[in-house]
This record gives sequence, C-alpha cells and structure tokens, in this order.
Amino acid sequence: MTKATFIFISFLLLTLTLISGGYDASLSGQLIITTPFLLILGIPHGAIDNVLFLRNKKIKHVHFIVGYLLFVSLNVVLWTAAPLIAYLIFLVISAFHFGQSQFCHYFNKQTFVAKLLFFFWGSTLLSGLLYLNYNEIQIIMDLYKEFDQFRVLHRKIGLLYFFSVSVSLTIIFTVILTYKRLLTIENMFMEFLVLTLILSAFYLLPLLIGFTLYFIILHAFKVMREEYHFLKIEQQIVSLRGFISLVAPFTVISIVGILILFGCIYSNLVNLSYGYSLLIAFSSITLPHAYVMNGFYLLTYNKQYSANMK
Amino acid sequence: MTLLEVLIIPKDDAVAFTFFTGYMAMLAASIFFFFERGRVSDKWKLSLLVSALITFIAAVHYYYMRDYYLATGENPTALRYIDWTLTVPLMCVEFYLLTKAAGAKIGLLWKLIVASVWMLVAGYIGEAFNPEGGDTSHSVLWGFLSTIGYIYILYTAWFGEVAKLAEASNNAVVKKGVRTLAWFVLVGWAIYPIGYMCMPGGWLNTSFGWGSENVDLFYNIADAINKIGFGLVVYSIAISSTKEEKA
Repeated sequence: MTKATFIFISFLLLTLTLISGGYDASLSGQLIITTPFLLILGIPHGAIDNVLFLRNKKIKHVHFIVGYLLFVSLNVVLWTAAPLIAYLIFLVISAFHFGQSQFCHYFNKQTFVAKLLFFFWGSTLLSGLLYLNYNEIQIIMDLYKEFDQFRVLHRKIGLLYFFSVSVSLTIIFTVILTYKRLLTIENMFMEFLVLTLILSAFYLLPLLIGFTLYFIILHAFKVMREEYHFLKIEQQIVSLRGFISLVAPFTVISIVGILILFGCIYSNLVNLSYGYSLLIAFSSITLPHAYVMNGFYLLTYNKQYSANMK
Repeated sequence: MTLLEVLIIPKDDAVAFTFFTGYMAMLAASIFFFFERGRVSDKWKLSLLVSALITFIAAVHYYYMRDYYLATGENPTALRYIDWTLTVPLMCVEFYLLTKAAGAKIGLLWKLIVASVWMLVAGYIGEAFNPEGGDTSHSVLWGFLSTIGYIYILYTAWFGEVAKLAEASNNAVVKKGVRTLAWFVLVGWAIYPIGYMCMPGGWLNTSFGWGSENVDLFYNIADAINKIGFGLVVYSIAISSTKEEKA
C-alpha cells in the first residue's frame, strides 16, 4: 500500500461517516466543499510542467510558454469547431494519464500491455464516474445547454457497456502483468482493492466529492510526491519550502486565469456557461500536462531513479 | 435455553445460522491452536496460546450470543462488545509478539491497546446508546471517532512501528506474516463498519434500507474471518519459522 492509498482509505472512511450525517449534496454545496481542495492541491500538481519539460533541454522558457499557449489555443479552436471530438480526445488522454499515474511506479519499462492497462484502468475510472452518477450527470447536462451535444456519449446503456468492457480488460491486463511477474500478487490485490474503493466512493458519495477524493489524494498528491522526490534527487530543491515556491507562480497564474475567465462570462464578454468553459479550461490544461508527465514517467521510472522514487 | 432443549433455527435466518457456525468454528479453532502449540518452537508458544485464547473467548461469547439471539431476536450488543474488548487487544498483543524479536518495546503494545479500546468504546457508545428508532447524528459522531482508532492501527500496521520493526527484523517469515496481518486489518476489520452502519439510524439503514438484523450477520462473518484467520496466519508463521530453525 502506498501512503496515498492509505490517506485515500482514511479519508474515504471518515467522509462516509460525515456524509451519512445529512450533508447537503446539491451541486453548489459540493462545489463549496471541493473547490478549495481543487485549487490548492489539484492545480499545483501540474504547475511545474515547465520545470519537468525543460530539464536538460536547450529550449528557452519563453519559447515553452509560447508553445504551451499555442497548444491551448489550438485546443480551444477544436472545442469551438468540433466539440464532440475535443471532448472525446480529452476523455481518452485523461484516461491514459490517470492510469499511467496509478501504475507507473511498478514498471521500469512501459510495455504495450502496461500501456493498455493504463488506458483501460483510466477508462474504468471515467466511465464508472459517469455511469455510477448517472442522475447527477443528467442534472448537470440539463443545467448547461452546451452539454446537450454530449448526450450521445452519456446514454446509460452505452456507459454501462463501456464500463463493463473497461473493468473486464483492466482485470485481464492486471492478471497478465502479474503472470509476467511485472506485478506481484500483492500488488494485484492492492490495485483491485483500490479500484473497488474508488468506484465505491463514486457510487456512495455525491459526484464531485467522490471524484475530488480520488483526484486530490490518489492522483494529485501522488504526482506531487513523485515530483518532489525527483527534484530533490536532481538537487533543484532542498526542502518542501523550495518545492512550494516552485509550484506557486503557475498555480497563482492558473487561478487568476480561471477568475478572469469567469469575470468575462459574468460581464458577457464570453458567451459560454461557467460549467462548459471550465470543461474547456481543464481540457486545455490536461492535454499538455499529460504529455509532459508521460515524458516524466519514462524518465523517472528507469533504473537511474526508480529505487529512490518508489 | 440450554443445549438439551430443542433449538429451532429458522431456515431463512442467516443470522442464527452464522451464530451457530461461528460458535463451532471458534471452538474448533481454539482446540486446534491449543494442540498445535506443542509442535512449534518455544518462542512461538506464547503467540499460539494467544491465538487460542482469542478464539476461545469468542467461542464462549458466541455460545451465549446465539442463545440470546434465538430467545429474544435482538442484537446481543453488550455481549458482543465484551467479547471484542477482550479479543481485539489480544490481536494487538499478536502484533507485539511478532515484532518483539526485532526490538518492539512495551510502549508499542500499549499504544495499540489504547487505540483498539478507543475504537471499541466509541463503537459501543454509538451502538448501545443509540436512541430508540435510531439517531443518525449519534451514530455518525461515534462512528467517526471509532474510525480514528482504526486508522491509527491501520497506519501502525502498514507504515508505522509494526511495519518498520518487521522490515528491520530481516526475517522473511516475520515480514510476510506481519504484512498478512496488516491485510487482515485493512480488509477484514473493514467489514465491521458495514455492520455498524446497518443499525437503526445508521447510513446503510437510512439510505439503503438495510435492516438491523444485518448488524449481526456482518459482525459474525467478520469475526470468523478475522479471529480464526488471524490465528491461522500466526500459526503459519510459527510452523514455517520452526521448520527453518530445525533445518
């Protein structure tokens, strides 16, 4: 069990007892609870993409930022021109990214089967989130008119089918990797337990609270821990304070950016709903982040670093 | 009601069924651990005795609980918690005995005992003093407090003193054994809160309509897994270690 898993289990148990105490599970109530965690812990885990990407590369910082903004602009154009395709790309990349983050520390080399496992684990997570919270998803889709175009992807039977296929393939690929001795039997059982707990959290808890619990503890916290250890090995930081100063600038910029976006919507400069614009914003941040993290995982879990990172 | 009277177990009463099987399984396990004690080396005898005591104490309580349940149809809450107050700290003693050779101090034992008593007392208040008809806020408060004790033991077994001592022991058998017991704490002990949340006012009771009869069903299943399973793990470590010493 990793420390992230332990923290997740502890918080899940404690949250379950509190939720059963009659907590207001409306969407706005959930947003009040989850937003601070997403802003303070969620955004920082991607706030040093520049540091990780530029390491040992002869690319100027300003060029990275220009490239990053260009990528974001292209993504926004895609969302405008073909929202369904943009949404699908976002889901596929996110699925792979979540799976890669969950399993990367087990492998020194990412084989084809391991990559399949990453994708299907992530797709289990996302399809499970949508299927197990079907009613809440419908409420959100009714709330924002732009989400109407995604209804074709959110049909209950389709979600159930995709969820069942993803779960089955996740189990099969995990067993194959265990059979090939790339995972131990204990690792396999632990991963099955963790996936069961995540899906239970999605089912038992309100949509945003369940997802935030997974995203903050099992994803963002784990990634930040790995980034912190990596930067320490690389002697780019010496303490937690150094790490915080490193992640702070882009965290603040991202939060300010979201606030500006909301300000533009509020003053009718942008004719989009808050929910839809947030989806585009998250997708624009996620795609380059997933690309950078893929490189980071390939680098960190080779022989040079793996012993110190696990 | 005594054994000589005719006891009728309704065929659709899973709770009564598990009370009887639980009783027999605990008694059988106690006899097994008592007799097998003679086959292991001296340093493991105390551990096996503790395993036998855990299942024996449980067997005696199950003897009373099954009768209480058949006679009244109610949850034998007090008897249940008397049993746990004795057996759960003894499980903590098992952790201590396993890691003693690696340098575990008596302080570790006391910390585990305090955490387990905290967990049980909070659980008992939550269950026994639940107002008639159930009170969710009462159940939530004491369930939350009890969970804190559980999380402390879970941490100690997986990352804390117990895990570190097992790692430092350089004994593969002890390492594997402690890790297996840690799995019991993680999975086996987690069944109890499911039972707790079935009582009137509990979350599974109010949200999903799971009746209070499920409280004992989950507790009986969890007891069988944890008490007998826990003992079997200790037995397996003792036998493996004894064989290694003889080789």
